Amino acid sequence: MRRGLMSWSLEEMPVAALDKRVARLQAAMHAKNMGAVLVYTSFAQPSAVHWLTNFTPYWSEALAVVLPEGAPILLASLTKRVHLWIKEVSHLADVVMAPRLGADAVTFLADKTAPGQRIGIVGMDSLPWSVAQPLFSAIPADRLVDASAMFAALRQPGDSYEHALFDKAANIAANAFKAVPAQAKKVSEITAAIEASARMAGAEELLLRFAPDLGKSVVLQRMEGDASLGATWAVEASVAYKGVWVRLGRSMASGVTPTSWSAANQWFDKASKISGAALNGASYGEAPGKLLSVSLEASIGIHPLSVIAAKDIPPVFALPEGTHAVLSAQLALADGHWYRAGPSVL
Amino acid sequence: MSAPLRDERAAKLKSAMKDAGIDLLVLAANAWRVDYLRYALDVIPMEGEAIALIAADQAAQLFVDNPMEAQRIQLEQPGLRVSWSPTVLADAERAIAASNAKNIGIAPGAAMPSRLAKGALGASIAATTALMDRLMVNKTEGEADAVERATAMADAGYDIFRKAARVGRREYELVADTEAWFRSQGCPENFMILGSGGREVRGMHPPGDRKLVAGDLVTTELTPCVDGYYAQICRTLVLGQPSQAQLDAYAVYREALEAGIAAVRPGATHGQVALAQNEVFRRHGLGDYVTSEYTRVRGHGLGLFVDGPHVLEDVKQVLAPGMTLIVHPNTYHPEVGYIVLGDTVRVTEDGCRVLTKTPRELISMPV
Repeated sequence: MRRGLMSWSLEEMPVAALDKRVARLQAAMHAKNMGAVLVYTSFAQPSAVHWLTNFTPYWSEALAVVLPEGAPILLASLTKRVHLWIKEVSHLADVVMAPRLGADAVTFLADKTAPGQRIGIVGMDSLPWSVAQPLFSAIPADRLVDASAMFAALRQPGDSYEHALFDKAANIAANAFKAVPAQAKKVSEITAAIEASARMAGAEELLLRFAPDLGKSVVLQRMEGDASLGATWAVEASVAYKGVWVRLGRSMASGVTPTSWSAANQWFDKASKISGAALNGASYGEAPGKLLSVSLEASIGIHPLSVIAAKDIPPVFALPEGTHAVLSAQLALADGHWYRAGPSVL
Repeated sequence: MSAPLRDERAAKLKSAMKDAGIDLLVLAANAWRVDYLRYALDVIPMEGEAIALIAADQAAQLFVDNPMEAQRIQLEQPGLRVSWSPTVLADAERAIAASNAKNIGIAPGAAMPSRLAKGALGASIAATTALMDRLMVNKTEGEADAVERATAMADAGYDIFRKAARVGRREYELVADTEAWFRSQGCPENFMILGSGGREVRGMHPPGDRKLVAGDLVTTELTPCVDGYYAQICRTLVLGQPSQAQLDAYAVYREALEAGIAAVRPGATHGQVALAQNEVFRRHGLGDYVTSEYTRVRGHGLGLFVDGPHVLEDVKQVLAPGMTLIVHPNTYHPEVGYIVLGDTVRVTEDGCRVLTKTPRELISMPV
């Protein structure tokens, strides 16, 4: 629940880019005869609204309303005092105070849509009941439509601005790993160094998972408290920069790097250049050890990263070429466990 | 993570479920609302969605939508049956249907996905959420002790923040220093916002790239987490010597905080605590600034969530020993800008104990 730098750089994300994204959604709405699309946002489900408006809530929740024309309007549970900040960091036609978010959305839609017009909801199944219930009670079921698939179909491969932010987030993580002290003995020394480096570089958010001793386990843990480092250990940094998320994960050695890691890294480098076709075949190439897990994630909806394909699970979505995704893998090698995660451009 | 606290909570939950006649408790959680799941199973989702099915007579099931989350949680809580899939809501829905439970309660409304709530189960949300809320507000001694430990962490974290606040530094650099320090202490989670500037500042927000200048009021609230329990500190500092206007304004806040804390005792309500603070502002001709135009709340409960029952004049939450909350008359002052001042307190048998140790003076940092 931590937030670092939250700001809007017009150079990194021009208004025109956001307008273009909204226009694509509006074109899809028009084709499906939708009078409005609702997109929910909270700390936990920020990504769809962010993609459309550059807005991410650090607190509370909101609904972005996309109408047939114009920039989205934000119905915000956040207090009016915060509206000025919201307008500074996002591209919106208006910010409307909506303390009873679901009920206020019903009133707003009654004013802005024609009777009988369909209303799409991105992430409908996941919409919190406290927001959904007033909508479901007031609006006939045949008018409310799950717009998740429609949104996912136009979400990727992303535009050049998003790709640049993705690359920046990856660089922030990579540089943060370089800041890890060579003689660290405890996890806390490493997490502190990564946190300082990433946030000084402008990371908006940083989530760390840690496997303190790869000799014992490759499971990445949420570190509450501290732990001693083994001879080999692994860290995963999930970094958000200006709303765009990437994961970078590395296996590290306190002393001599295991010889098997070279082949593992080569395999991963090759696997991360996977094509969409190969993804459909769940083919990541022959790993130099037992493949314990592999997953490919991308942003297609309300969550920053969603699992698109994984070991023994066929792709749940056809990602287009050019999508900036994240590949994560765990191997059991002859001399221990190994883990890595990083960008994968389809 | 604290196994004793987990086991203590699990026992209380089991008893509450039995008293309420709930055969199957279904809880939802995400990175924003972790509290209900933490209470029930000592699980914190870091991302995505998590749905738990908790029955009295078998190991709880947990459905998540990320394989790394599943691995992590299974390792943390080996007694759970954890699974993951990209279709977590459909899986949970099937499991609920297959449970044959007669009386199912689902919670909380703030995190329960509509897919699971829109049928008959939705009718149970209000009562089940209230049941869980009562459990979380009425803390055991062990739970309140955890809030005390978190308060000590907040005090120490504020000292880091205070030293980081220097002219020329950007807001996000202060947060970087503070967050890094929390990680160095094994504290995985902290909620913080801040503000910097003068009369133009109306509130706090996540850090921007504004550079601090001499004369700035720099406000922050830090809310670190220890063993899952949050505590908060709110403080204001000035870069350089404070002006007389800043000192005069701040004196009102200090008086209001002390009045609010004096009102905290068993049997009093959150409303009375808010009223005590607001009356100070009204006496000083600042009654307009205790409205929602300028302030959100006058404090709130603290525990497994950073924002428990609000301290507002119309909130009837009755205080009882062991409850923990922050009292904070944070609001805009028309002459100097936004000021914050808040202490975490623990309700005792006859009043409260102030847990925050950081002095309440308007802190002046050299420029």
